[in-house]
Amino acid sequence: MNDDSTDFLDEQLGKARRGERAALTLLVQAHQRSVYSLALRMLGTRDLAEDLTQEVFMQMNGNLRTIDSNRHLGFWLRQVTTNRAIDQLRRRARVQMTSLDDETQLFSTEEASDPLLQRHLRTLLEELSAPARAVLLLRYQEDLDPVEIARTLDMPLNTVKSHLKRSLQSLREKTIGMQPMRCEDRSYE
Amino acid sequence: MRKCISLLLFALLTPALALAAPNPKLAIPSFSALAQKATESVTITLDPGLLGLAAKFLDSSDPQDAATKEVLKGLQGIYVRSYTFDKDSAYQQADIDAVRSQLAAPGWNRLVETHSRKTHADVDIYIMLDHNQAIGLALIASEPRQFTIVNIVGAIDLDKLHKLEGQFGVPKLDIDPSKAQAPPK
Amino acid sequence: MSDDIESQMRAALRAVAPREEFSQKLVANVTSRQPPARQSRRGAARLHPLAWWFSASLAASVMLAVGVHQHLQQQRLQQSGLEARREVMEALRVTSQKLNLAYEAVRSQSTSLTDEGNSV
Repeated sequence: MNDDSTDFLDEQLGKARRGERAALTLLVQAHQRSVYSLALRMLGTRDLAEDLTQEVFMQMNGNLRTIDSNRHLGFWLRQVTTNRAIDQLRRRARVQMTSLDDETQLFSTEEASDPLLQRHLRTLLEELSAPARAVLLLRYQEDLDPVEIARTLDMPLNTVKSHLKRSLQSLREKTIGMQPMRCEDRSYE
Repeated sequence: MRKCISLLLFALLTPALALAAPNPKLAIPSFSALAQKATESVTITLDPGLLGLAAKFLDSSDPQDAATKEVLKGLQGIYVRSYTFDKDSAYQQADIDAVRSQLAAPGWNRLVETHSRKTHADVDIYIMLDHNQAIGLALIASEPRQFTIVNIVGAIDLDKLHKLEGQFGVPKLDIDPSKAQAPPK
Repeated sequence: MSDDIESQMRAALRAVAPREEFSQKLVANVTSRQPPARQSRRGAARLHPLAWWFSASLAASVMLAVGVHQHLQQQRLQQSGLEARREVMEALRVTSQKLNLAYEAVRSQSTSLTDEGNSV
């Protein structure tokens, strides 16, 4: 996010705290994709993702006074979304469902997509524990570095790095033969 | 005198008649000991009030929500208990028998009784009928590391349940309620 | 190439937009809980300043208490409703998963019966 938009959203945050609905609308619209996508990829279905998204923003509305900048708001939304999703996943029975509903768009199709890779990604995500899934999403969807991920999830940095390393390794194994010759692994140590 | 006798008979018979009326709501134990052993558990208790409240938050313009709303119409309760364990045989069949034995009561009819060699899963589905209308559904699924009890109370429209096909992955079972049979005693 | 895999992950995990209808509902629900922006008061009745302040404070306190109470009640109702909706969805999901198990068992039984019939 560039400086101009950051300043603009900081301004909207101030207005929203004073009760201006238009400003609150802009904040919701600015962050809903991120929150919804996190919820969707954590929980796996659209209806659960929508419920969680709504709950998160309702909670945000009640906590605006504690949020001092748009950057802080982004952190707060990611933290609340992933933590609540992890809680929900822990409470739910492990349901091995093959949903016939193909409308749920889990992955982006904006760029030239690789359907085989997407299938592997879906399998990988399903196999991960809730915390590992959250780490992966915060890294590759939200583009956070491991330190920021550790802060967001209140997780030791080494654990974050371990999750990332294992997930990439797993993905590499699943896509072997599809990728060009392996180069040196980027180290997360 | 005759009036007194009639009144007395009515007073005596009414509770008996009430007792005889089938009750689709099962008495499900708390399973607190098993819940502590389980790695994951699902406990859902939705009475008429909560079902009504949930229905208000379903969006009629959304096909899945609309189909769900249709299923909820006429329902009086949905009760789910599901426990997953990290090893085989962590629960005893006797734990579930307290529920299963209630399905031998008058009114319950076994719709489907399946055993899968592939998944080692037993799934029994019972319905309670009142003048050919399903007023209760009970489902007991037991797998090596998981058991699930579902009890749905109220006017269940199996056609509407079928229409959820494609939502939640509900399969078309082609189940004909008229083929339901009373469970063995 | 881990960089290649990572860039593919980033591309595949780019944020996706929710449905337009949901988005509109979300904004409407969130902003409907927002207290309206303060409006200026004009033409206040001429009272003794102290009495005025006392009455105004009392009235404001009562209104605030009622407003906060109603707001909290609405919020609680909203949260309860969303929670109930989620539980309904989960209950139906669990039910359908087990129905699916039964379906698969029935289907594999009829397949094996058909195979036996053909082999005779």
